[in-house]
This record gives sequence, C-alpha cells and structure tokens, in this order.
Amino acid sequence: MGSGGELRYEISQNAYIKLVLHSLKHKTSAVNGVFLGSSCDDVVQIIDSVPLFHNHLGLLPPLEISLIMIEEHYAALGLGIVGYFHANERSDDVELGNVAKNIGDHIYRYFPQAAILLLDNKKLEALPKGERSAPCYA
Amino acid sequence: MVTKTEEKQLNRLESQVDNGGGGAWEYLCLVRKLKVRRSVKVLKHGLWILNDSKKRSSLGPEEWTLYEQVAVAAMDCQSLDVAKDCVNVLQKKFPESKRVGRLEAMLLEAKGSWGEAEKAYSSLLEDNPFDQVVHKRRVALVKAQGNLSGAIDFLNKYLETFMADHDAWRELAEIYISLQMYKQAAFCYEELMLSQPTVPLYHLAYADVLYTLGGIENLLTAKKYYSITIDLTGGKNTRALFGICLCTSAIAQLSKGRNKEDKDSPDLQSLASAALEKEYKQRASDKLSALTLAFKTLKVSS
Repeated sequence: MGSGGELRYEISQNAYIKLVLHSLKHKTSAVNGVFLGSSCDDVVQIIDSVPLFHNHLGLLPPLEISLIMIEEHYAALGLGIVGYFHANERSDDVELGNVAKNIGDHIYRYFPQAAILLLDNKKLEALPKGERSAPCYA
Repeated sequence: MVTKTEEKQLNRLESQVDNGGGGAWEYLCLVRKLKVRRSVKVLKHGLWILNDSKKRSSLGPEEWTLYEQVAVAAMDCQSLDVAKDCVNVLQKKFPESKRVGRLEAMLLEAKGSWGEAEKAYSSLLEDNPFDQVVHKRRVALVKAQGNLSGAIDFLNKYLETFMADHDAWRELAEIYISLQMYKQAAFCYEELMLSQPTVPLYHLAYADVLYTLGGIENLLTAKKYYSITIDLTGGKNTRALFGICLCTSAIAQLSKGRNKEDKDSPDLQSLASAALEKEYKQRASDKLSALTLAFKTLKVSS
C-alpha cells in the first residue's frame, strides 16, 4: 500500500462545508460527493469538493458521467480526485455500505492515497458548528 | 410523483406564505393533495393557523384534518410534544377512531419505541388487514431500524395484495438499488413500466439499472430504453442523452475484436451528442468545454 510513512490529510474549509451543507439539505436521503486536491510528499491536500447525488447512489451511468466531467474540469486546474465522501440515510448508521466501498475502491485504483470520509450524524447533531468523523480508509 | 408545473405552483405558494403574503391554508391543502414531504413548513404554517382560535374556527370541520397533518409534520421534525398535543386534541374529539389510533402508533414510532409501535401496527392490521397506510408504516418502521431485508419482505407481501401501488414499487426498487440487487430492481421497474408505460422516469431508471448490471445484452437493451425516454420527453431529458453516449461507448469497448456492427449506432450517438451540445450551449455555455472533453474520453463522434 503506502510508502510506510504516516499520511496526513488536510481538508480546506470550503471543501468540507460544501459537503456538509449538501447532506443537511437532503436530510432524508443518503448523499455522496468527491474530494479534489493534490498530494505532495506525505500530505494529501483536499482543496475542493463536488457534491454528487442524493438518491439512487448505486446507479452507474450518472456516476460515470459525473466522474469523467469532474476529472476533466479539475485536471485543467491541476487537481485530481483524491477522496470520496458518503453520508448514510439513517442517522445511526455508521457503517460504510457496499456502494460506498465499491466507489471508494474504484477511486483508490486511480489514486492509492485516497480517503473515504463518512459523515457521523451524531456529531453533526451535537455541535451546531458541525463535525465530521472519518473512518479514513486509504 | 409530482409534475414540474405542480412543483412550481407549490414553490410559488410556499414563498408567498413565507413572505407573509397569506395563503397558508391553500398551501397546506396543496401539500396534502400532492403528498409531498415539507414538514418544516407545514409545521410552521399549520401551527400558525391552529394557535389562533379565530383562524382555527374559520376552518370548520377541516380543523381536524389540519390537526392530523400538523401531527405528522411534527413527528417528522421530531417535535414530539407538539405531535402529542395534536393527537390528544383529536383523541378527545374522536375517542374510538382508528385513524387516531394510527396516529398514536406513529407517535410511538417517532419516539423510537420500536417494539410498542410494532405491536400497535399489528393490532391495527388485525382489525383491518386492508389498511394500506399501516402496512406501509410497518415497512418504514422496519427500514428505520436498519433491517432492509425485513423491509423487502414486508413490501413484497404488501405488493402481492396491492399490486397497483406505484409508490411501493418505487420504494422497493430503491431499496434493491441501495443493496446492489439490480436484477430485482429491474423487475420492479418492469412492473411500473407495464402499468404506466407513458411515464419516462421508469424507462430511464430501468435503463440505468440495466447499464449498471452490464454485459452486452443489457447495454443494448439499455440503449433502447434510453431512446424510449428521449422519445417520451421530446428529447429534453439530459440523463437519457448521456445514457446513449455511455452505452454506445461501452458497447464499442466490449465488442472490440468482434464484428458486431450495429448499423444505427453511430447515427444515434452523434444525434445524442449533438442534442447535448445544443442544450449545453443554451443553458450552461461555460461548461461546454467540459462536455466536449467528456465526449473525447468516451470517444464519441459528434
């Protein structure tokens, strides 16, 4: 897998807030999104994010088209897809489902240092400022 | 399912009421008629009417329907005290009512008392096994506990009796998709297309599921269903247009080395990509370059 060293991930406020707001807008469905950024040495910097869907997360055509267009758009800015964000439908569900795992694996194949962030709804409820937990899978 | 015009009308009313322009009762009636889920607004405006005794009495017998609507909205927003008050008022007025009994069971469900809610729903079903709302609440109860396979069982049993309930078929298809059981989801959409063949949404979803399943046969069929969707929507459905491009490129990749010539394929793809470019030029001309790059990646000829 990695080069043996500790990988650090830095996430910009913009990227984080966009995805949290997206999940708050669609409280009754599962949502997902991708992270864009770059890596240098041992630090993966997440600079921007794009919210993807809020229903039918398991369908392939919209996912393929959106990933193609996102990659093209951000390649011009020198950024690539570095991670995936997922929020489950139920507030007490903290498991990374199969759909999220499959998408995460796919992204991992292109970028081995990719991270998956799963929204922890309890923390989001508790602090109005919002907090995300991350079982980070590389 | 709500049409675009209905949704526009609803949103217009909603912003009118939000900005103090009146029409709260019309808004609440429209929400009830279209069966949409706008619980925060319903709670706010419903309580505004109910807390004012003059407005309340001007509703006449509709007052009780409003209490029911606000109770459900309050449960959805987790304002359980408000919900309890509404249910109490209804209980006093209609002491032996099954409809109020249903609301009480829903209150248990909203509180999270799964066992008691399940008992309440089961006893309501014993008295009236044809109560569709209670059947569906039981499915929701099981789904909320995370037991998706239980939800699938209940829904399948429900659909054996109530085969014409389109919303239930759609819910079942969505659960199957979330569990990646695409063949079963495809079956649900097939049922929906049989009973409502002019609704493009089902054809589109069926095509998406077939594409996700993969394999040349499914891809060819998916292309046909994307074409039907385009036909039914007069060429305005962006997802279907993209679907055609994706299908053609995937079929081309899979049939490399085999001489499967699909004669109308290049025309179809170039038509779809031309239509997409036109739409992007009209609606999002700054994203047109992203579209052209995407076509290059998919090796689409335009």
